[in-house]
Amino acid sequence: MRWFRFAVLVLLATVLQASFFVDLNIKPDLLLILLVFFAIYCNTSNAIICSFTIGFAADLIGRTMGPQMIGFGLFGTALAYLHQVVAIRKMTYQALVIFITALLAGSMVYFLNFLKGEPTPQNMFAALFGIALYSALVGPFLFLPSAWWMRIKISRFSRR
Amino acid sequence: MLFTWFTLAGFIFLFSPGNLTNKFQFAFHRIFRWPLRIGRNISLSAGTRQPLREKDVVSRDEYKRLLNHLANVIQQRNDAHQTVQKLSKMRNISAWERMGFVPADVITVSINELRSELIINRGQDDGLAKDQFVLADNSVIGTIADVDAHTARVKLFTDPTSNNIAVKIGNSKCLIQGSGGNLAKISMAKYKVKVGSEVMAGKKPGFLDTPMIIGKVARCEHNAEPLLWDIMVEPVCNIQEAENVVVIVMNPTD
Repeated sequence: MRWFRFAVLVLLATVLQASFFVDLNIKPDLLLILLVFFAIYCNTSNAIICSFTIGFAADLIGRTMGPQMIGFGLFGTALAYLHQVVAIRKMTYQALVIFITALLAGSMVYFLNFLKGEPTPQNMFAALFGIALYSALVGPFLFLPSAWWMRIKISRFSRR
Repeated sequence: MLFTWFTLAGFIFLFSPGNLTNKFQFAFHRIFRWPLRIGRNISLSAGTRQPLREKDVVSRDEYKRLLNHLANVIQQRNDAHQTVQKLSKMRNISAWERMGFVPADVITVSINELRSELIINRGQDDGLAKDQFVLADNSVIGTIADVDAHTARVKLFTDPTSNNIAVKIGNSKCLIQGSGGNLAKISMAKYKVKVGSEVMAGKKPGFLDTPMIIGKVARCEHNAEPLLWDIMVEPVCNIQEAENVVVIVMNPTD
């Protein structure tokens, strides 16, 4: 695992998410796409570290600290273990995984925010669905440049 | 084991006091303020900026006429103020003179369905405190939600989780609640109001001593209850493109 390249990639995604994409109502979640990418293409222990680190980065540009670190960490770890059993190589499967992970992690984030006593927006499920859908559409195409940057060989149709 | 330690760290962050954990967020925005600003500028220039419409433009002569009218009105107001002072024989300081204005640069703006917030480059060292009102283009846009030494987070009045702000439309007082997407809502108003009517933020002792414009009515729709109305309010300035804001600090020390 090339940690320096990982740090640069996560920082770039965080800055883009907090600046370039921030004004859009419905937008892809770059950090969530990276979460799924590293959960699929790294070994389990690296995937756990990556998931929590990406969650921490998402918290830095989020409303409160903690919820996304836990949500991303939990579902990134689960995905890494799932990938040992089921190969997620086809773009359609990757899109489906991004969609489901976005919905689950997003719901967990709002649940944890609720536990902390943060008010919950009324239209959160509509916005969450939009983010999940856009991330699923864009995500698999971002896997290729991410893999090139991280020097990870990806084969779309073979099991690891 | 790795998973357990990271999860524990996450829960420590989650249940730590907000003023401690916010320091991480403010530090990130301070350190990366240049790339964040560049990204925002690219986003704004790539976005759909509305072209200047003919009705939005005034000629130079008209502009000068309006400027002169404004100068006359200000002078008349000052004269009236002095007359009131003479008649009442009391030294009366106008609300504006008691207010301090702290200008601040916007680091990031996030306005969408779930969040409506700004991060600005002024903090406690500049006299900022929680709940102070923030202005852009001479209109109220929100209040300070979190503050550290050099940075502050402004929660816009359109944020779905913002505190209710007391407002006035005409003579009726009501509360406004953000509903996301650059809109706020006044629920169950008793009267129908005209689209385009001005909505004024009400006085809040210690924070705002004079009513100020906060928005204008965008829509007025029937509530589910008969004879009641839901009023949607939009800001009167373009917050997404705001580069500078002003924070109202009441009774500044210097």
